[in-house]
Amino acid sequence: MKNKVLILLVILASVTLLYGCKKQDTLLIWVGDESQEFYQGIMDEYVTAYNEANDEDFPYLVSVKGVDTGSAAATFLEDTDAGADIFTVAHDNLGKLITGSSSIAPITDPDLLAQIAADNPATFADVIKGSVGGTEYTFGVPYIAQALVLYYNKEFITEQQVLTWEGILAAAATANKQALSLTGTDGFNNSFLLLAKNATTQATSLRLYADGDINENYATGDDVLSVLKWGQRFFTNPNGAKRPTDSGWTVEIQNEISIAVIGGAWHFNAAQAALGSNLGVTKLPTFTVTSQDVYGSTPAGTEFQSGTFADAKMFVMKKGSDKAAYLQDIMMHLSSKEIQEQSFTEANNLPSYKNAKDEFDSMTGDSVEIQLAVAQLEMFERGIPQPFGADTRFNFYYYSKGAPDLIMEILENKNDLFDTDAAILAQMLIVEAIWKTGVRPTT
Amino acid sequence: MSSKNVQQNQSIISRILVSILTFFKNIGLGIYKWIIKIGVGLKNSTVHFATRFRDSSTLTKVSHFIMGFGNMARKQIVKGLLYFVIEVGFLTFMIMSPVVNDTPMGFRAIKNFITLGTVEGDIFTPTDNSMLMLLFGVVTTGIIFMFLAAYSSNIKSSCLADELQKKGKKLPTFKEDLAELMDAKFHLTMLTPAIIGIVIFTILPTVFMILIAFTNFDAQHPAGQVLFDWVGLENFRNIFSGSGEISVRFLPVLSWTMIWAFFATFSNYIAGILLALLINKKQIKLKKLWRTVFIMTIAIPQFISLLAVRNILSEYGPVNNLLMTIGLIDSPISFLATAANVWTARITIIVINLWVGIPYTMLMTSGILMNVPQDLYEAATIDGASKRQALMNITVPYIVFVTTPYLITSFVGNITSFNIIYLLTGGAPIVPGGYKAGSTDLLVTWLYKLTIDENEYNLGSVIAIMTFIITATGTLLTYRKSKAYKDEEAFQ
Repeated sequence: MKNKVLILLVILASVTLLYGCKKQDTLLIWVGDESQEFYQGIMDEYVTAYNEANDEDFPYLVSVKGVDTGSAAATFLEDTDAGADIFTVAHDNLGKLITGSSSIAPITDPDLLAQIAADNPATFADVIKGSVGGTEYTFGVPYIAQALVLYYNKEFITEQQVLTWEGILAAAATANKQALSLTGTDGFNNSFLLLAKNATTQATSLRLYADGDINENYATGDDVLSVLKWGQRFFTNPNGAKRPTDSGWTVEIQNEISIAVIGGAWHFNAAQAALGSNLGVTKLPTFTVTSQDVYGSTPAGTEFQSGTFADAKMFVMKKGSDKAAYLQDIMMHLSSKEIQEQSFTEANNLPSYKNAKDEFDSMTGDSVEIQLAVAQLEMFERGIPQPFGADTRFNFYYYSKGAPDLIMEILENKNDLFDTDAAILAQMLIVEAIWKTGVRPTT
Repeated sequence: MSSKNVQQNQSIISRILVSILTFFKNIGLGIYKWIIKIGVGLKNSTVHFATRFRDSSTLTKVSHFIMGFGNMARKQIVKGLLYFVIEVGFLTFMIMSPVVNDTPMGFRAIKNFITLGTVEGDIFTPTDNSMLMLLFGVVTTGIIFMFLAAYSSNIKSSCLADELQKKGKKLPTFKEDLAELMDAKFHLTMLTPAIIGIVIFTILPTVFMILIAFTNFDAQHPAGQVLFDWVGLENFRNIFSGSGEISVRFLPVLSWTMIWAFFATFSNYIAGILLALLINKKQIKLKKLWRTVFIMTIAIPQFISLLAVRNILSEYGPVNNLLMTIGLIDSPISFLATAANVWTARITIIVINLWVGIPYTMLMTSGILMNVPQDLYEAATIDGASKRQALMNITVPYIVFVTTPYLITSFVGNITSFNIIYLLTGGAPIVPGGYKAGSTDLLVTWLYKLTIDENEYNLGSVIAIMTFIITATGTLLTYRKSKAYKDEEAFQ
C-alpha cells in the first residue's frame, strides 16, 4: 500500500513539474536570412518596452527566423498551420496567398493603414492590395524595396562609359571581353529591355496586367519592338550580352570573361566576392536606338532608360492566427521609418520608405553599400512594381509558361529566324497570348 | 539486303510484336481472372461468415456484436478485454470524429472523402481543406480495414474457443497465448511491426498519391484556400489530347527516359564486365590495387562527384580551358545545360554516368568471376575449346544469368534516376515553346518540377502512375523472358 501511494505521489509530482515547465506559446516571424539577427534584436526590445509600458509580460515568446523570402510564400502554403504568424514575401506573391478565401489576413488597424499610405511610394499602393470575394483589402506592409542595378568591373569601364550601354560595349570591345553576363534567362533578366522607358518622357507603351486585368497585356508597341531590335543587336554583337553558361555569372565576371552583370541586392555579396575593390555599382544605363533598330513611329536617336521591376518586400500575417490581437502593432513597429533606417544601417536592407534618400542620414557616403542603395533608389523611381499580386495566374503565366524563352529567342536570333520586323512582331504576339492565357497559341 | 535477310528481319519483328501483344493479352486475361477470383472470394467469404454465425455457439454469436464477449465469458478476461477496448475505441473514433487542423476524422472523414469539402470560406473564415479531407479519408479507410482484421481475429478466437470446449480441451490463458507468440507464432510477432510500418509509410501515402491523380489539385486550387474536386480520368485523358504541356511533352520525355535507361544500364553493365574481366586476367598485376582504385569512386557521395564534374565541364572550366590552350577549339564548348545540340548534353550525361555506375558492376562481376566453377573451364579445355569460346559459352552466360535480376533493377533504377539529371543539367537544354520539361528531363525530374515548382500535384501524380506502369510492365516482360526465370535449373 505504501509503495502504491509513493508511486502515485511521484506521478503527480512529475505531472505538476511538466505542467509548470510547459513551453510558452511562440509568436513566429519570418524575415530574410541576412536580417534575422537584426530583427530578433528589434523584437527583444519591443517585448521589453511592452512589458514596461503595460506592467505585464508579453504573453508570447517572440521568435524571429531567417528564411529564403523568395520561397516563403510557397513554404507557408505547404503547411499554413505550421507557418509563421508574420512573414515576409515579395509583393508579387500576393496573388497565390489570397487565392480563394485567402491564407493571409487583411490589415484592418487604421493607424497601420495610415502609416502605410504615408510612408510608401504611390506605386506600392495597388500592389499591396488584393480582392477576395469581390472586396478589396490591404494585405501587405512594405518595409524593403528592391530594384535591379548594374554591377561592373571598374578596371575596364570608366564612370563616363558606364552611363550608356554603348559606352560599356565600347569598353568591352577595347578589352576583348563580353559587355554583359545575364544571371538567368527568366523574365526578371529581360526586364532591362522589356520595361525600358523613353528617357525623356519616362513613357512606355508596354502594359502588363494593367488594372489587375488578365487581358490588359500589350507588348507590341512601336517603342517596345524598337527596343527589342536594339537588344537583338546587343546580344548578337561579338562583345555584347551573353546568356548564362554552366559556369555561372560569378565565374564569368571573376575571370573577366564579362565586365558587367545586371542583378539585385541579393547578388551583391557574390559580386563583391568576385570583383573585390574593382566592384562598381550604378543604375542601369541608357541606350539609343538607331535607324537599324527603329520600328514604326519610333524615331531614330530616341534614348531609352533600361527598365526594372521595382519590388517591395512586405510583412503579411497569417489568417486565423491566435495571436492576431498583437500582429498589426508589431508590423507597424517593424515597418516604421526609424526601424527601416536602422535596418539599412545594420542589415543593408534598402528601405521602402519613400523619402529615404533625402531624409536618412545614413544614405550619404561613398561606400559600395551606399552606392548599391542609391542605385536601387534611382532605379526604383524608374521601375514598375511587378503587377502579379492581383491573381495567382499572372506570376505563373509571366514567368513559367515560356514567354521569357520566346523573348530570348528574339534577342539571340539564332539561324536569323528573327531578322525581320514581321517575325519579331509575330513572336511578341505569341508572348502576349501566353501572358493572357498561359498557353502558346497553336496557330 | 537479300530477300532472305529481309524475311529473317520481318520474322524477328513479327515475333517481337506477337510477343508484346501476347504479353498484354495475358495481362488482360490475368486481370479478368483476378476480378473473377475476387468476386468468387467475396461470395465464398460471405457464405462462410453466415454459415459460421449460424453454426456457432450463443457466446460466439454475441461476440459478433460485442467483441471479446466470447473470450471474457470463457474466463479469457485479458484477451476479451483487449478486443472489447478495440471495438470501443474504434466506435468512439468513428462516432466522435476527432478534429485535427479543423478537419474531422472518423465517420465524417468518409463523408468528406466523397465530397472533398463543401464550405467555401471568405476572408475571415477558412475554406474546407480538400487535401486534408482526402488524406483523412484514406487514413480512416485504413483504420476501418485494420479494425476489420481485429474483428475477424475476434470471431476466429471465439470460434476456436467453441471447438476447444466441444472437444473438452483446456482453453489457453493469456500468458500461454503470449508464450505462443514468442514461439510457434513468432513469425507473426516479427511481421506485425513491419506490416504496420509498410501500411503507414508506404501503402497509405501511395494510395493518397494515386487518388490525387483523379482530382484537380493544382496551383489554382491551393489546399485550404480553394476547394478541389474529383475529375475522374480527365488528367489521364489530357496526356493524349489537348495542347497543354503534359500532352505535348509526355511522349518525348518518355522516349528519352527509355533511351537513357537503356544506354545508362547497358553501358555500365558492359563496361563494368569488361573492366572486371580485364582486371581478372592472369597477366594483370596488383589486382587488389586496381579494384580498390575503382571502388574508391563509390566512397565519394554521388552528388559531390556530379557537381564537381559539372564544374569541370562548364564553359569556363578546366576541360574547356585545356582544349582552348592546346588549340583544339577556338571557343568553349557547352556540354551540358547550355549545349547547342540536345544530343551533346544527352551523350555527355550518359558518359558521366559511367563514372558513377561502372564500379558497382565491376565489383559484382569480379565476385561472380571468382565463383564460376573451374571444372567447366577444364572440361572445355579438354574438349578443345579456345579461350574465346570458353568466354562466350561459359563465362558470359554465367555472368548474364546471375546478373539478370540486377540488370532489371538497374534498368528500373535508371528510369527513376533523379540525381544525375537534376544536378548535371536540371533538365536543360530547354525546349523552345516554354515547356517545363527540358530536353534531358526524365519522367521523375519532370514530376519533381511539376509538383515542387509549379504545384501541379495532380499532373505529377499522373506521371508517377504512368512511370510505375511502364517500369512494372518492362520489368515483368523482361524477367519472364529471361533465362534466369525460364531456365533456372540449368545453372544449379
